[in-house]
Amino acid sequence: MTASEFKEYVKTNGVKKAAREVDVVTTGTFGAMCSSGAYINFGHADPPIKMQKIWLDGVPAQAGLAAVDGYIGATALDETNNMMHGGAHVIEDLVRGKAVRLRATGYGTDCYPRKEIDTYVSLRTVNQAVLMNVRNAYQNYAVATNSSAKTLYTYMGKLLPEFGNATFSSAGELSPLMNDPYYRTIGIGTRIFLGGTQGYVMWEGTQFNPGAPRTPNGVPKRPAGTLAVIGDLKQMNPEFLKGLTFTRYGSSLGIGIGVPIPILDEDMARCCAVTNNDILAAVFDYSQPTRSRPVLREVSYAELRSGDIDIKGKQVPTSPLSSMYKARQVSEVLKSWILKGEFTIQEPVQSFPKDRPLKTLDVRTEREAT
Amino acid sequence: MKTKVVLTFSPEASNQPITHNLIAKHHLLVNILRAEIDEVGGKMVLELSGKADDIRGGIDYLKANGVGVRPIKEGVRRDDEACTHCGMCVSICPTKALTMDLKTGKVSFNEDKCVACGVCIDACPPRAMEILI
Repeated sequence: MTASEFKEYVKTNGVKKAAREVDVVTTGTFGAMCSSGAYINFGHADPPIKMQKIWLDGVPAQAGLAAVDGYIGATALDETNNMMHGGAHVIEDLVRGKAVRLRATGYGTDCYPRKEIDTYVSLRTVNQAVLMNVRNAYQNYAVATNSSAKTLYTYMGKLLPEFGNATFSSAGELSPLMNDPYYRTIGIGTRIFLGGTQGYVMWEGTQFNPGAPRTPNGVPKRPAGTLAVIGDLKQMNPEFLKGLTFTRYGSSLGIGIGVPIPILDEDMARCCAVTNNDILAAVFDYSQPTRSRPVLREVSYAELRSGDIDIKGKQVPTSPLSSMYKARQVSEVLKSWILKGEFTIQEPVQSFPKDRPLKTLDVRTEREAT
Repeated sequence: MKTKVVLTFSPEASNQPITHNLIAKHHLLVNILRAEIDEVGGKMVLELSGKADDIRGGIDYLKANGVGVRPIKEGVRRDDEACTHCGMCVSICPTKALTMDLKTGKVSFNEDKCVACGVCIDACPPRAMEILI
């Protein structure tokens, strides 16, 4: 069953019956996930080059991995900061089967004498092309609004002045980690839906923060768990992988992720029965450019989904940033794969840590950092 | 009947009392939805109400005086292939031309409500909205 179907089923049949009858629940999310990118092995040129700097369609990719491996990050921009075509757009172009221009320079060594190359590559011409994202599928996030007198352009979208609107970015009750709040079934090695193909959870995501405050049912009220994921870019589908532009912020990658959750017992069924009424997020004023913004209020995803919320007595229209429509598609496609036997559930080879404090970056002396 | 039009002016045409003439000489009810002017001319979005003949007469008058007239439907376009239905646009659209169906999660674009203000253009992450005027 998809997560939406399961919640309905529990409402009419109760948790006990649902736990007996249902084997697997498929979750889904589709949203901007900035901490994404792809590594590519371009193959060796003749004469060979040890690439020290790499550009794909003008967007710099990270070199420094032997000779012809590069990593292009979703938010990488060219020298002109062209946000309409960042790393995420290059990745989408590749998935669409397009050829992209590869330029690279090197300093020349005895074994890699070539100093530059200017050519075209596509997913057909390269060896590996692997999407490897270090922080995706945030277990809850924030609600952004703006109390100032001017429009703000943020990674949470366009925020109109004087609390003109509010945006939120989690798929709520459909989102993978909302349905497995304590990471009982999701861990390293979990097989998932990633960008239209099968991928894997490769690690806890960066900024993984299981200690975030939770409601009595265990669902975090603040950004908490995250996933690091990996999958074959060559198999991905542009329906579920999209280059995005957030004006004056930059580019980001819209990606569809779905995780199957086996209903191990009644407790797991209870977790997957969670609805938008039970999931809370905090509203932050993004006009305060600091790390710790004050919380204006807590609000449920049911309220956020209704189209407006009350902030300081004002009815403020809301926008989701993750697509409910595509999140449902992800959960439905994943369900169909499982029913057809094309996708099998993989038990994690290792669970995530239960305790991992979230650290900050401060200006320190060498002694303070040691 | 009612119709919404987008008017574009050259600097010369900007100096004429065209709104007054539409009301006084062509007996139209004019609702100014949007108006702006800069060094290269001006742009106005009007809702015109009146008899069909009067509306036609008013539009002919505008054209004869060097004002570009286009139906609003040619003002803003959505690329349905590019839209991911994320919903970023729904909270910023001042006329609720962009709305989300809460059941399906799909965002629909009602061109009749659009006043071509362009607020959605740079807010759309997949850049599915395009302004043509």
